[in-house]
Amino acid sequence: MAEDLNWAIGGEAGDGIDSTGKIFAQALSRAGRHVFTSKDFASRIRGGYTAYKIRTSVEDVQSVVDRLDILVALTQRTIDENLDELHEGSAIIYDGERSWEAEIPDEMTAVDVPLKSLAEDAGGAIMRNIVALGAACEITGFDVEYLDEALEKRFGGKGSKIVENNKEAARLGQEHVEENYDLDHLGYNLETTDEDYVLLNGNEAIGMGALAAGCRFYAGYPITPATTIMEYLTGRIEDYGGHVVQAEDELSAINMALGAARGGARAMTATSGAGIDLMTETFGLVATSETPLVITDVQRSGPSTGMPTKQEQGDLNMALYGGHGEVPRFIVAPTSITECFWKTVEAFNLAEKYQTPVFLVSDLAMSVTEQTFPPEAFDMDEVEIDRGKLVDEDEVDEWLDAQGRFRAHAVTEDGVSPRSIPGATDGAHMSTGLEHDELGRRTEDEDERVQQVDKRNRKVETAKEQEDWDYREFGDPDADNLVISWGSNEGALVEALGYLEEEDVDVRVISVPYIFPRPDLGEEIEAADDVVVVECNATGQFADVIEHDVLTRVKRINKYTGVRFKADELAEEITDKLTEEVPA
Amino acid sequence: MSSDVRFTDFKSDKQPTWCPGCGDFGTMNGMMKALANTGNDPDNTFVVAGIGCSGKIGTYMHSYALHGVHGRALPVGTGVKMARPDIEVMVAGGDGDGYSIGAGHFVHAVRRNVDMSYVVMDNRIYGLTKGQASPTSRSDFETSTTPEGPKQPPVNPLALALASGATFIAQSFASDALRHQEIVQEAIEHDGFGFVNVFSPCVTFNDVDTYDYFRDTLVDLEEEDHDPTDYEAAKQVVLDSEKEYQGVMYRDETSVPYHEQHGVTEDMSDIPDEAPDDAMDLVREFY
Repeated sequence: MAEDLNWAIGGEAGDGIDSTGKIFAQALSRAGRHVFTSKDFASRIRGGYTAYKIRTSVEDVQSVVDRLDILVALTQRTIDENLDELHEGSAIIYDGERSWEAEIPDEMTAVDVPLKSLAEDAGGAIMRNIVALGAACEITGFDVEYLDEALEKRFGGKGSKIVENNKEAARLGQEHVEENYDLDHLGYNLETTDEDYVLLNGNEAIGMGALAAGCRFYAGYPITPATTIMEYLTGRIEDYGGHVVQAEDELSAINMALGAARGGARAMTATSGAGIDLMTETFGLVATSETPLVITDVQRSGPSTGMPTKQEQGDLNMALYGGHGEVPRFIVAPTSITECFWKTVEAFNLAEKYQTPVFLVSDLAMSVTEQTFPPEAFDMDEVEIDRGKLVDEDEVDEWLDAQGRFRAHAVTEDGVSPRSIPGATDGAHMSTGLEHDELGRRTEDEDERVQQVDKRNRKVETAKEQEDWDYREFGDPDADNLVISWGSNEGALVEALGYLEEEDVDVRVISVPYIFPRPDLGEEIEAADDVVVVECNATGQFADVIEHDVLTRVKRINKYTGVRFKADELAEEITDKLTEEVPA
Repeated sequence: MSSDVRFTDFKSDKQPTWCPGCGDFGTMNGMMKALANTGNDPDNTFVVAGIGCSGKIGTYMHSYALHGVHGRALPVGTGVKMARPDIEVMVAGGDGDGYSIGAGHFVHAVRRNVDMSYVVMDNRIYGLTKGQASPTSRSDFETSTTPEGPKQPPVNPLALALASGATFIAQSFASDALRHQEIVQEAIEHDGFGFVNVFSPCVTFNDVDTYDYFRDTLVDLEEEDHDPTDYEAAKQVVLDSEKEYQGVMYRDETSVPYHEQHGVTEDMSDIPDEAPDDAMDLVREFY
């Protein structure tokens, strides 16, 4: 493993922590370094504690670790919150002129930079965090010109004066450290490469996937952490003739998206927390009316208001079973930021091919993490669009009954019926959440009821056969120890393999992106001596599902502190778990 | 769009199961005639129906239609119209669907001024669940769930609409067939959200708000020399606690519908069969 560096800035909400962190992440990305970011924040606009952490390396990084090398501390609490991760070689940048007395452990290097005064010299106190970035560049031997590029990107729209002032602020921070400190002994020296990376988070990847897939309508209601999908699409979807509506609530949002889908548009909504509960009412309607719709749930810590800004994978059961009655559905759960993009594209295709709701289940950790990728990871030429049995005017005629009525819910061998959209001559039909006949008209006839239920369920069976419900695999395919995960734990698990290798623990990792239908892991589990299921929830919802599938008990690693798994801790937990008895 | 559309083209071959004498028969006939008279045909019309007796309308009419979840018809209609500015959207519901469970959506659909018509069959009772109080029931109206009456004032949908920024507010009476049809037609032709509250008596469960009651008391605004473009006059009419009116209470002639305000012009159903040509620019944005 190449040397990596862990950097953070922390302070109170409202201190510009997030944008400062993003600027530094951008600078590192421009320098051809890989970046993996994480956020620590509370659900408030001002005050409290919030931090933005960056792990950077010239090699790929996919996880956070329990170590902090450089910390920009705007408050004492920032130092206190991170004491566990700071070490003897850590440098802490703080402003000694500020009113708080920084208590910094003796073994660490305190770097006192008059952030506010220097920012004022450069043109305004608001730039004090940029002074700190300049100071960080000096400590880490990082070329400040990359920071200039990031500042241009961030402030370019605000005019050259602002950009120049910010560059000056960075220079003053850098010079202050250069003139007053000799920190060579810390040994930080950030290499650069010629690589060109893009830097984005999971929600941006979902939004970009939606645009690539031809999504034209989005309706949503602001809720952390799903809102950034809506914010990404707003201002971009219009370029393709689409539109974003901020609805009055989630009930409205999902129904608007449903309406747009009935109109023939590729439509999506996204929510989190209680928002998905509210949308549950409409799940059955989407499925019964056979409407293609992508419903995104960016999971956060529940139940109820829970911890709105914390990580959890607690909605698996909700996705599987939410809604009264028996609702056929697909559940796709991306396992990484690039997968957020590809699985969104796939979700739209599944929705239209099978005229069914598709739940795209992501989680907070992925949604707020910025990560670097080569742009080819999002090769748009690879995007395929399949609109399924969408029939045009000429094809409508093939699906009319003897009276010339369109059979929108025709019972077919594969369960999928033709779909006509408004404007198609002779395609007019009614769809409903009531049980209906082939024409969409209400029925309570026993035979018709059974036919339609079977038909809708047959779509899922058809999809099981026709689509690839594969898993992703890492580590040693022949290892006796099998670790299974879903969602965003994949990155931490892949990195944990490195630590496990050092301990001579052989592990095969299976990362599952499909919750329903899902890959049959019977053989893989059979072949393993030990099976551990890793997830960010308290009860082991995915472990339950696996046990149910293969009728055998598995071991569980559950984390529900609200913080994502870290590679090093995960390696340790796996090692411990392998020595335990399988639960009876 | 064909020019020889007859209103019966909007009729399905399903026989309504409404009680004989139900106001919804007349309401629906007027809607079908209004749609035909405004040059629409079933293939370019989308009807969204709510839940309840009124919600059955989607089954008895013939067009593209969705019969959805209780109270959520307006959001569905909004979505259809956004995706398809070229399609005529009509939302039909009842007083329970629209002013109780759907009241929140009503306020916001009015505010958005989406270009569609909203026809509410107001019978001041819950019919399909067999006679409970509705949001428009009188405060002393005795029902199985309110034996002494709701003891709260009914919702005033017309005033609620005006307060929410409506650009078209009207009221009609199912039994006055020609006037009802004319009023719905105006709602369809209005550039924006055309809201019509229709008195549609329930002959089974409501013996107070009957055909006779409306025939005897309803005042036609046409005879009152009312100017629907006069906001102050509209305020007077919708807040009048002495009389009930039929006709167009308010029409904002400067109304610009939502999709025009937001520059939504394209048929969103038409997408390329691959990623957009410039899609790599979306990736490069993240450099």
